[in-house]
Amino acid sequence: MTDTAIEAAGLGRRFGRRRAPALDGCAFRLPMGRVCALTGPNGAGKSTLLALAAGLLRPTEGTVTVLGTTPAAARERLAYVAQNKPLYPQLTIAGTLRLGRDLNPRRWDARTAERIVEEGDLDPGTKIRALSGGQRTRVALALALGKRPELLLLDEPMADLDPLARHQLTATLMADAADHGTTVVMSSHVVAELEGSCDHLLLLGSGRVRLAGPLDELLAAHTLVTGRAGDALDPHTVVESRTTGRQLTALVRPAGPLGDGLHGDRPSLEEVVLAHLRAPDAPPLLLDAREAAV
Amino acid sequence: MTALTAATTPAARPVRHRGGLLRAVARTHRTALVLWLSALAAATAALIWLHSLGDEARDGMSACATPPTDRLPSCAAVEAITADETYANGIAVLATVLSWVMFPVAAWAGGALVGRELESGTARLAWTQSVGPLRWLAVKLAVPAVLLTAGTGTLVLLNRWARGDGDPDLVGDWYYPDAFVSTGPVAVAYALAGLALGALAGLLWRRALPATGVALAAALLVHSVLERHREDLWPAVTRTEAGSLELPRSAFQVAWADTPRHGVTLTRATFHPESHFWPLQSMETGLLLAVTAAATATACLVLNRRLP
Repeated sequence: MTDTAIEAAGLGRRFGRRRAPALDGCAFRLPMGRVCALTGPNGAGKSTLLALAAGLLRPTEGTVTVLGTTPAAARERLAYVAQNKPLYPQLTIAGTLRLGRDLNPRRWDARTAERIVEEGDLDPGTKIRALSGGQRTRVALALALGKRPELLLLDEPMADLDPLARHQLTATLMADAADHGTTVVMSSHVVAELEGSCDHLLLLGSGRVRLAGPLDELLAAHTLVTGRAGDALDPHTVVESRTTGRQLTALVRPAGPLGDGLHGDRPSLEEVVLAHLRAPDAPPLLLDAREAAV
Repeated sequence: MTALTAATTPAARPVRHRGGLLRAVARTHRTALVLWLSALAAATAALIWLHSLGDEARDGMSACATPPTDRLPSCAAVEAITADETYANGIAVLATVLSWVMFPVAAWAGGALVGRELESGTARLAWTQSVGPLRWLAVKLAVPAVLLTAGTGTLVLLNRWARGDGDPDLVGDWYYPDAFVSTGPVAVAYALAGLALGALAGLLWRRALPATGVALAAALLVHSVLERHREDLWPAVTRTEAGSLELPRSAFQVAWADTPRHGVTLTRATFHPESHFWPLQSMETGLLLAVTAAATATACLVLNRRLP
């Protein structure tokens, strides 16, 4: 059994010849059992990457390997929830779950799916078209988890949930993933939402991988520096630096001990991500090389 | 990891494994299924009723005499029979309906069966379950194809039975477009071609409304081209005679020419005798099945090229 959930090599996808590629030369590796946050600005290629991993798109260049095989061959072992949570509006919730059972005869776990629906106080006899956006999300997640996937791909799963439901569903999802060792990839542009639940980060920008690796290692690789304007940040890799009056604030990847007069602080995930989003030219940092995990 | 997977995967249930996709297709297209079965029931009832009217209708067309003789009924009595009109109208309506099955089928296949699924993303939902896209398409086409073949085939047989002896004055000649299509296997072939063309339009346009339009247009094109060139599908018979020429009853006339030569009028007629019904049916059915096969193969190819 492979220890890699998703591995991309030179992965690119172009929609139309004249448009800029949605994904361009992506290379990363996500080990099994991780809960990975996939983040980036709008149009960074998050949905494209998830659709490629789910076997719904053909890459225009490069390859993506999922659970040690091609996405099409891994179809039975992965679940995917698209951004618009497509469900058959004419079916009831119970009918939707029966559909899940019929389409996944070898894997279907009815109890898990029913429990997720029950937690949302939903009547199984309700038609999908009568549900609110958040309730549809719950049913879509029930359908995905009922399949007992080894890899769960979620595209903006929590976008239309109220804070309470978001909290509750995230907890359900994480508990389920922890119980079964499921690898989860969750895209979102709300960074704060991801910090508590994820242990791996993939930051995309303009179709390229900007940051990739275990969350704690990525955070440890960065230091939030404050000093006086004019202080040299020289041996360190500067992601972003700003001066307000006489104060210098910068996010750096330290290459050694910080110089005199500089004060270093551990940045939050949000600070790291925002600094990279504000500085699109900062060099990428990929901490997910194969050696690191083996 | 292996132990974990084994523990979390429920034991395979072979009974459920079979036909899960069939059930899924039936469940997601229940409205269409109910509509089709109701239409079949209504058409069956109408044809049985028309068959029961048949004898009375033929009495209403019989020769008569005033005053009545031993062999011929009185004309007043024959005139009083109205069943022939009801019967003729009913048969004409059902023939039209049967020969137009292709259009609603094409519109439904383009719109609801494929186009809407691609537009709303429910197709992607299905493709990320344990079912591959090609199997999904195959079952989605096979289930309606079987239902259409069985239903249309039954209606064609019932229609032939309801038409009785096929008196042209009551039910129209065999070569009338509606009568021709509704009394032979071409009716089934038209329905299947509509299904395949609709599915292809849905896959190519990926949106319900444009796919419905394109599917209808394609069906209309196929239908009218075949109707216009039906006479060319089998070599016609040509007869040339001096003077006037009488074609047999129920001959499908293709061309007629009077040419005066040496003071005599030569009449040259090209036509299909009634015995050409089956050759013409076979040729047209074959062509339609070829269209169906080509459209289905293209649809599979399109889907296969788009997905990994």
